[in-house]
Amino acid sequence: MFKLKVSDAKLLRDMITSISILVDEATFKLDPEGMKLRAMDPSRVAMVDFEWPKTVFEEYQCTEPAKMCINITELLKLLKRAGKDEIVELSLDYKTGKLQVKITGKYTRNFTMPTLEASEEEVPTPKLAFNVKAKVTTTGLSQAIEDAQLVSDHVRIEADNEKLAFNASGDLMGAEISIQKGSDTILDLEVKEPAKATFSLSYLTEIIKAATATSDIATLEFSSDMPVKLDFQQAKEGKLTFYLAPRIETE
Amino acid sequence: MRVIADLHIHSRYSRATSEKMSAEEIARFAKIKGLHVVGTGDSTHPAWLRELKENLVLDSETRLYKLAKEPNSLMYFMITSEVSTMFTFQNNVKKIHHVILTPTIETAEQINDRLTRYGDLAADGRPTLNMDAPLLVEEVMALSSENMVFPAHAWTPWFSVFGAFNGFDSIEDCYQDMTKHIHALETGLSSDPPMNWRLSVLDRFTLVSNSDSHSFWPWRIGREANVFELEKPSYRNIVEAIRLKDTGRFRFTIETDPAYGKYHWTGHRNCHVSLSPKEAQKLGNMCPVCRRMLTKGVEQRVEELADRPFGFKLEGVAGFIRLLPLSEIICAFLGVDSPSTQKVWSVYNSLVGKFGNEYSVLLDAPLEELDKVVDAKLADAIVRVREGKIRVIPGYDGVYGQLVLFEENFSGKADPERVQQMNLSDFM
Repeated sequence: MFKLKVSDAKLLRDMITSISILVDEATFKLDPEGMKLRAMDPSRVAMVDFEWPKTVFEEYQCTEPAKMCINITELLKLLKRAGKDEIVELSLDYKTGKLQVKITGKYTRNFTMPTLEASEEEVPTPKLAFNVKAKVTTTGLSQAIEDAQLVSDHVRIEADNEKLAFNASGDLMGAEISIQKGSDTILDLEVKEPAKATFSLSYLTEIIKAATATSDIATLEFSSDMPVKLDFQQAKEGKLTFYLAPRIETE
Repeated sequence: MRVIADLHIHSRYSRATSEKMSAEEIARFAKIKGLHVVGTGDSTHPAWLRELKENLVLDSETRLYKLAKEPNSLMYFMITSEVSTMFTFQNNVKKIHHVILTPTIETAEQINDRLTRYGDLAADGRPTLNMDAPLLVEEVMALSSENMVFPAHAWTPWFSVFGAFNGFDSIEDCYQDMTKHIHALETGLSSDPPMNWRLSVLDRFTLVSNSDSHSFWPWRIGREANVFELEKPSYRNIVEAIRLKDTGRFRFTIETDPAYGKYHWTGHRNCHVSLSPKEAQKLGNMCPVCRRMLTKGVEQRVEELADRPFGFKLEGVAGFIRLLPLSEIICAFLGVDSPSTQKVWSVYNSLVGKFGNEYSVLLDAPLEELDKVVDAKLADAIVRVREGKIRVIPGYDGVYGQLVLFEENFSGKADPERVQQMNLSDFM
């Protein structure tokens, strides 16, 4: 059997929201140690790599390893019914394939939803060597990305030993956001060699917005014209990491 | 005699057309182009039909029309129209465009009497009718077996029989029991005969090519056309040659390079994203910029329905030649932004003045004769277009393809604004 219980519904909802940025149907791997998910969006431009060990939950039971594929949008609809301090329990009936969502607060609500055929695809993580590693506050990162989005649909992220910079240029307007090493936003900056790469803001904005709800600190790792790895440090144990492929400008 | 016919254009009563699109102006530029027969377009529109009655006269010998002012002209009009049928098929709304050919203004009026029950014919030169495609064919063919209906620009993403957005997977699904009256299909700018030959189910149809022009300018009108070898042009000769797939009479089509068409590749115009079918499939047909579904191009749609390999050649059918409008060639050669500039017109007029019309320049003029009139490099470019030795950067999502006349000028960049979104599979 599989069953989990969280006393903070918001935590579960925010995490599921982060996953929903990239996938509609998510196949979770369940085992006695915790739950994991690694999936790419349909265009294979971005990947989410998520892990929650059993210690994150108030209760966690998984008697045998299994896969559980659920429609994330539908699950989110149910989770949005839960208040901040309400308790959420998920339990999967292996025989019927039904997932029960129980929300307990002032009163108790029991929802059931079907699970879907689990994906058999094993998704590896990209093989990358990074030249830049920047640990930043998610608030600062969000603001830089929001600034860039005012003028363009893509942003060039650059780093050297002194700073992390975000450059956006649209048809008419441009923006340069520079964050110096030692500022409140940059908690650490390691640069093996200066690097720059361009990324789609539609992906970056949504990823950062959703993941910021779960995390105060993010680590960006990238090299020139290579994917960026965005790791969002979780308050409890667990992992929420995104990879985003670069855009190559032909101009 | 060689008869070149463009059977699908629009009048000034269609949306997004030139206000000056009168019969007289159409005839003037069709002649400059070298067309012998041009469709009137929009014969379903009451006001345009009235204008045609006032300005055209029936040539009893050919059963085609001439400008009343120019009875001795060899430029003929055929009465034609395009209509859009809107209907539901298997719970999906279908908006399909069809071309109608009819022998006379009187038969056009009979068609209009019937079609007016299904929509407001005065609303647009290309009216939208609340009827399904089989009913349209039934209504038109019930009036005269000389009428002809065929699907317009069969592959464009919107409003076409095979369109990626709301089209069908076969002609039979669209026209049902009335498929027996469908003898041709219009390939549209973004597809050409070799692309259509890849579907064995299309073997029985004659592939026709027309400009679907919304203006009379020579870089629009006649940019695609049908070339017949006839004793004399006549409605019957032309329609029969199409209906019977008679390669003795219907010799070849003039095609723009399909990459020149506005919907050849898959992409998003506003996002500056242009992708080959393979690249688009790799991205799951999602736009890497806005993350919405991409506008699927004709090449990808053909790939989905094809049952024959790329490069398949169908024997015993009319041939084709790839050309591009002369103004576009001059425009690319001069490196100017628009074919309507005086610089382009000046060169254009010198060539047409020397060789009689644009098709003569494009199809027939020998290199050494062209050399005498224009810069040797431009003369070479014209011949290179004729011989298919040019490159066209594919059009996408409403953006026309871009012409590269000389390889040395090709930077390898697909589009100055093109963005190449990598995907993570490239790094695994």
